[in-house]
Amino acid sequence: MTASAQSTRAPVRRRGALKFGVRSPALGLLLPVALALAWEAAVRLGWSDGRLVPPPSRIAATLMALAQTGELAHHAVATLLRVTAGFGLGVLAGTLIGALTGVSSLARRLIDPTLQGLRAIPSIAWVPLFVLWLGIFEASKVALIAVGVFFPVYLGVLGAILSVDRKIVEVGLVFRLSGPALAWRILLPAALPVYVVSLRAGLGLGWMFVVAAEIMGASEGLGYLLVDGQQLGKPAQIVAAILCFALLGKLSDSLLAMATAPLLRWEDAFGARR
Amino acid sequence: MLGLDQVGKIYPNRVEALEAVSLTVAPGAIVAVVGGSGCGKSTLLRLVCGLDQPTAGTIRLNGAPIQAPHPRIGIVFQEPRLLPWLSVAGNVGFGLRDRPAAERKTRVRTALQQVGLSEKAEAWPRELSGGQAQRVALARALVPRPDVLLLDEPFSALDAFTRVDLQEHLLELWADRRPTLVLVTHDVDEAIALADRVVILSPRPGRVFAEIVTELPRPRDRHAAGFDLAKRRVLAALDRSLNRALITDAGETRTSVGAALWW
Repeated sequence: MTASAQSTRAPVRRRGALKFGVRSPALGLLLPVALALAWEAAVRLGWSDGRLVPPPSRIAATLMALAQTGELAHHAVATLLRVTAGFGLGVLAGTLIGALTGVSSLARRLIDPTLQGLRAIPSIAWVPLFVLWLGIFEASKVALIAVGVFFPVYLGVLGAILSVDRKIVEVGLVFRLSGPALAWRILLPAALPVYVVSLRAGLGLGWMFVVAAEIMGASEGLGYLLVDGQQLGKPAQIVAAILCFALLGKLSDSLLAMATAPLLRWEDAFGARR
Repeated sequence: MLGLDQVGKIYPNRVEALEAVSLTVAPGAIVAVVGGSGCGKSTLLRLVCGLDQPTAGTIRLNGAPIQAPHPRIGIVFQEPRLLPWLSVAGNVGFGLRDRPAAERKTRVRTALQQVGLSEKAEAWPRELSGGQAQRVALARALVPRPDVLLLDEPFSALDAFTRVDLQEHLLELWADRRPTLVLVTHDVDEAIALADRVVILSPRPGRVFAEIVTELPRPRDRHAAGFDLAKRRVLAALDRSLNRALITDAGETRTSVGAALWW
């Protein structure tokens, strides 16, 4: 590209640039930033002592302090490891069982009713049993997260396989694909878009259940920071931990979306082209 | 040699789609199957390509009965049915998976050249027009070099100009290796332009009503008197095949249904 072409392109507004036009993505920041600034001002002006609702500056200071002592990294890593292990196990089980029940109608009739029954149980209800079975340390927490992740992934895989276009499957049949080859070359790629959505839903639930697990008893992790902040009356620490959850959740979801995007470039869907 | 012997098909919901259809197609011949809706045209092709099983009779290719999709039989459906997650080249090479990569590559390249889509090799199916997509489907079906190519109303979703283009194109491709073509269509012009024999099925259940051998010289002039004559013969036979059904169904006689069939 020549320099002149570059310069003629330069004035064009690029997507993602921080410009506050009505169509800018940065527009979404307006409300939270304004609210934060307003609250900061309210506390500084003495309209509130900010004891229960700490102003942004106090939260930032708490975050900095936690980061400097290395506590924040320690707790974040503990939580991340739990989510990773639980998510991995849940995805593995959900994918395998979902694929099995999707491909084999016998397996579906055999297994699916039981799983649908188990799905009706709120996952938190398993905690006492998991603690009895697996102890109060990591295993029971990871199991709870895995159960939470399992169901959306299982349902996603099963539903995606069942709804694969018969006409596309017939193309595979005409080329004499069957069994694993049909699953690998037709069913899997056709089910992929729905599968990715179910993975993201599963990851969201994984974050939800790690909080539940850590609130119910942990000596480390971001959830522990929440409980600790409550018991010692440190609201800034609670908000700081919440912010970390938001950040990590968004970050992991974006990573998952980015990692799977190249697999879905072929999609011809409403949302595929922005 | 493709042979259908007293082939019948009754679906599980007891709809009788085909009854005692017998048909022999010589290697390299082009046969068109026409008929009103519900005459079992598509069912016939599904049976021949092994996607469904007949409930009576047998279908043989070179003497061997067909019970499952056969490596020597290819099909082009009414819709392109391209796999959206594969590039155009990936779709064309889909049936060559057991071939060495180098051979696959050259054969895909040749096939794409033949259908005039070399520059679209790396495109996604969503980026193709309807006519282009159907040409890719044609290339995909031809690339494994089938002895029999089945075509299920392959051009019916295309506009009139693209349709005639693709019909001519199909003939060029056919001339290359001369596979047997069995073309199901409701477009009588298409049947006459492409086929040497036109088989007319009567509906509910589908039966062979008449067979008209046209064997017009190739290349065919769509405006020649012979073309028109053949067309009128087919339309007349279609009329008769449908009238019978209409009288028994509705108790009334209509005469020029055949003309309406073009649409």
